[in-house]
Amino acid sequence: MNETRPRVLLADDEAAITANLAPFLERSGFATSVVSDGQAALDQAHAISPDLIILDVLMPLLDGREVLRRLRRSGNWTPIILLTQVGEASERALALEEGADDYLNKPFEPHELVARMHAVLRRARPGQPPLASAWRLVCDTGGQGSRLVLDRRARRATLGDQTLTLTPKAFALLEYLMTHPDELLTRDRLLDAVWGWDYPAGTRTVDTRMAELRRSLKDDPVLPRFIETIPGEGYRFIAAVRNSS
Amino acid sequence: MKPSTLRPHLAATIPIYLPTVIPFMVGLAADILLHAFLPATPILIVRADFSMVLFLAGCLASLIYLVSILTRQGSENHARQILLETQQAQDETRRRFYRRLDHEIKNPLTAIRAALANFPEAASSPEQLRVFRDVQHQVDRLSRLVSDLRKLAELEERPLEKLPVDLANLLEEVAETARTHPVYSGRNIQLVLPKVPWPLSPIIGDPDLLGLAFYNLVDNALKFTGPESPIEIRAMEDGRSLLIEVADTGPGIPPDDLPRIFEELYRGTNARGFEGSGLGLALVQRVVARHGGTVSVRSRPGRGSVFTVRLPF
Repeated sequence: MNETRPRVLLADDEAAITANLAPFLERSGFATSVVSDGQAALDQAHAISPDLIILDVLMPLLDGREVLRRLRRSGNWTPIILLTQVGEASERALALEEGADDYLNKPFEPHELVARMHAVLRRARPGQPPLASAWRLVCDTGGQGSRLVLDRRARRATLGDQTLTLTPKAFALLEYLMTHPDELLTRDRLLDAVWGWDYPAGTRTVDTRMAELRRSLKDDPVLPRFIETIPGEGYRFIAAVRNSS
Repeated sequence: MKPSTLRPHLAATIPIYLPTVIPFMVGLAADILLHAFLPATPILIVRADFSMVLFLAGCLASLIYLVSILTRQGSENHARQILLETQQAQDETRRRFYRRLDHEIKNPLTAIRAALANFPEAASSPEQLRVFRDVQHQVDRLSRLVSDLRKLAELEERPLEKLPVDLANLLEEVAETARTHPVYSGRNIQLVLPKVPWPLSPIIGDPDLLGLAFYNLVDNALKFTGPESPIEIRAMEDGRSLLIEVADTGPGIPPDDLPRIFEELYRGTNARGFEGSGLGLALVQRVVARHGGTVSVRSRPGRGSVFTVRLPF
């Protein structure tokens, strides 16, 4: 066994899921341990110090949220992906307090889970809270007056010394982009996370709002500093983001 | 009851007591005249007869009429209140059902998807591969349906964005999106917007959800008509609300289907051969209702259909 493989702890009480998902994660390059309740998840999180934890929300003994809370309270910042109920991901994705690194609705596509796992591992800074729970995000692109600051508590964004005028939706979109930098975000995913619905006809909505956001950020789609278009796929926030809470 | 609703009923009592007032007034005038010429006569000589009785009877009849109206209105209000509460209870039951259904289906579906992800595609025969792709496609469809149903139910509780919406602009965007859709390229989509004497007034609402609702109507119109058939989107205002119509020359909707087409998963008899989730019109209806508006449809079999959305200012 290759020792450099990331270790992942998978906690779900549904045996049919773990029995099929664990081998898939193994094949995708993760050394996978499985537990089937919240207490075992908490114990194993301390015992084996995994690189990443995947937590189902509804589990016996302790639910996934409680496990997450207890880990964070004890200063454990292991990246965590929470498996939520349909519709919950959008409510939680922009929540400051909870402290998960990402959310995924069941029934998810396993390849999507692996993509999220890679993204979360790439973003994670050892021993530091995730960007998702930072209340102040800063992005320096180097140019004059191009420092982008997102104050999530005050719901205010500034570029250089200018406060940006953003609709609540545009702010939420920027917030999601900045908490998921360097990750390919499909229109469906943005709709789901920011709008809470992802009907196929809604993808034009993302493009419209993205164009507005780019105008506010004075970001040229051809030579972007912040938001890059991935043709036929979606968008990616390309500037480096740091937590400055 | 508000005074404005009571006023017509008060007016309705006039014919009841007025005939009794006239003899009373005549009696009063006669009494005054008699008293003037013959001061010795008491003032109540003439009125102490039937005109007084008649007047009192008229007052009594008016009162009984008013009381009966008021109690009837009270019970009507009560019945309406009960109906509303029943409706709300039904909605809540439906939402609870979706949550349970969602929860019971999501785990097996997640397990099936995980199992399919382990399928050895490289080492399979073409026939196995075909079956695998079929199963995967159907599982994706089922997953999509479950989450769409749930999200539709959630649309009723989710807070709406409240921004000024320029509907002319929004409809232009919707028409443009449809025109540039690869499946609908080259389709004739007409947009008729008023300009004289003033353009459409803005309304307050959620621009993204409204855009989604109108796009659904346009998408339906395009889907159910041939490539040569034109589609018309038209908007107007009548001082109280905005009216937006999406008209097509499709097969029309059979009269039996009309009352049901806005229900979720209902597929009209004319719609069976077409691809769709059966949720589009239900979504339109929810979005419009959340904006305090209504959506209705007129249709003639063989001629076409007109969907009308009415949004209050």
